[in-house]
Amino acid sequence: MNDLIIAADGLSKSYDGKPALRSLHLEVPRGSICGFLGRNGAGKTTTLKLLLGMLRRDAGSIRLFGEPVHSEASSIAARRRLGFVSEDKDLYPFMTVDQTIRFTRPFFPTWRMDLEEKYLDLFQLPRKKAVPKLSKGMRTQLMLLLAMARGAELLIMDEPTSGLDPAMTEDVLQILADLAASDGTTVFFSSHQLAEVEQICDRVCIIDQGQAVIDGELDDLKSDYRRILLVFDGVPPKELAGLPGIDHLRQRGRTASLLAHGDVDTLVERARELGPASLEVRSVTLKELFLDHVRGE
Amino acid sequence: MLWYKAWLETRWRFVFMVGSILLIWLTPLWLPFFGFRLPQGIPASKIWMGIHLGSVMLYIVAANFLAGSGVNSQTTYAATSGFHGSMFFTLSLPVSRRRLLFVRAGLGALLTSALVAILAGYTLFQKPGGANIFEALEYIVRSIACTTAVYGFSVLMACVLDEMWQFYAAGFFWMAFFLVQSRASFVAWISPLRGMSLFSYPSAAPFPWAPIVASLAFAGVCLCASVLVLQRKEY
Repeated sequence: MNDLIIAADGLSKSYDGKPALRSLHLEVPRGSICGFLGRNGAGKTTTLKLLLGMLRRDAGSIRLFGEPVHSEASSIAARRRLGFVSEDKDLYPFMTVDQTIRFTRPFFPTWRMDLEEKYLDLFQLPRKKAVPKLSKGMRTQLMLLLAMARGAELLIMDEPTSGLDPAMTEDVLQILADLAASDGTTVFFSSHQLAEVEQICDRVCIIDQGQAVIDGELDDLKSDYRRILLVFDGVPPKELAGLPGIDHLRQRGRTASLLAHGDVDTLVERARELGPASLEVRSVTLKELFLDHVRGE
Repeated sequence: MLWYKAWLETRWRFVFMVGSILLIWLTPLWLPFFGFRLPQGIPASKIWMGIHLGSVMLYIVAANFLAGSGVNSQTTYAATSGFHGSMFFTLSLPVSRRRLLFVRAGLGALLTSALVAILAGYTLFQKPGGANIFEALEYIVRSIACTTAVYGFSVLMACVLDEMWQFYAAGFFWMAFFLVQSRASFVAWISPLRGMSLFSYPSAAPFPWAPIVASLAFAGVCLCASVLVLQRKEY
């Protein structure tokens, strides 16, 4: 358990009786970059807010850095070791870049002046500029600076690249990848951009209707899951749906598309017995995994 | 550093209040430029009564304007809806919500007290016949003590409502309270509005202990309620 930076079990949360999270299980190992995927309203932001103590859970448990988070005091202790970048990247409109840094610094005993200087130079942030006059990209950079200079062991980010141009997005992703590789920082971020998750994440968690539908190492998921495409001479037989090991089945006309994981070879053998005109087994992309699981087809 | 943030957040409100007070005090100087003349022949005691009531109104406005909860950051006199995005930055800091509240409310209370002291001092300075130092101290203390009730309620409203509605709710509450006190003698006896008003002022009148104690107690209750609200609130 100590190698898990984030461990949530049975996490549930409702708003006015409407469930937003339903017994969510989530594990993020130390040093990993974990993409948190889901459709709008799937429960991503609710999960992040629960981790940060902004919401109270209805049920379940949260452990951050191996320690249970069950009170405000334990949440404060955890927040001392993490950095958070919100989706809108809003900071205090009445402060300049310099004032924002000077304000944040004393809250974190592990603040590193060398990193502060390094990222100020790298991002070319104007110290005297007022926060409202910064572009969204610059605000993202400032939030990243604040998160990284504090020596955070964990970065929690809500759509860190939303609103950024492609060049800035690439820079941010590169920084995150470097952080995980060089400092062992754990990164947990929600995103709608499957391509960027696939680019830098070694782990993904896909959430749908408040539940984790996929959680694991990206490479393992890609090697475990297979797409089986079948073409029949007529309508696909009904027995197809009853084959064991199918995650999702999609039928259109004479064709059937199966998403399966585990013992795919056995499944292929059983499918051949149904007499398809052709059968093809393909590897899957993250996009396919995501769409098949959140569409529920 | 929370004090620093609270000051940066509040300073323009404070400056705005000081500017407003100066504008009102200097009315006799700027009014003639617009072709208006102050009526002549009004007894000095009546003029002073007007200044006094004006000051009381400004105590209430200042207490309402400078109150805050420390969580949802306030922009300079902006009437906004919803929470400010920077609230999530504040809540992600390793600081308890109680401390956020105490620092912000504490700074607002200091600034409000300073303004009330200045206003009260000016009011006494204008009093026909003047006032001695003890009278002045007594007047300032009771003004500040009674204003804490208004301030405490505004802090509570800042925890519950967005800033625009905070002003409306506080204004409505104190207007309703004023109506109630005019019909209920016990409420009038403990009323902070009476404690800071002219009707209990003449130095011959007994010191208004009841409104002062009630005001401090009410402010304490509001502060405790604010802590509870803030600690239970979900963002």
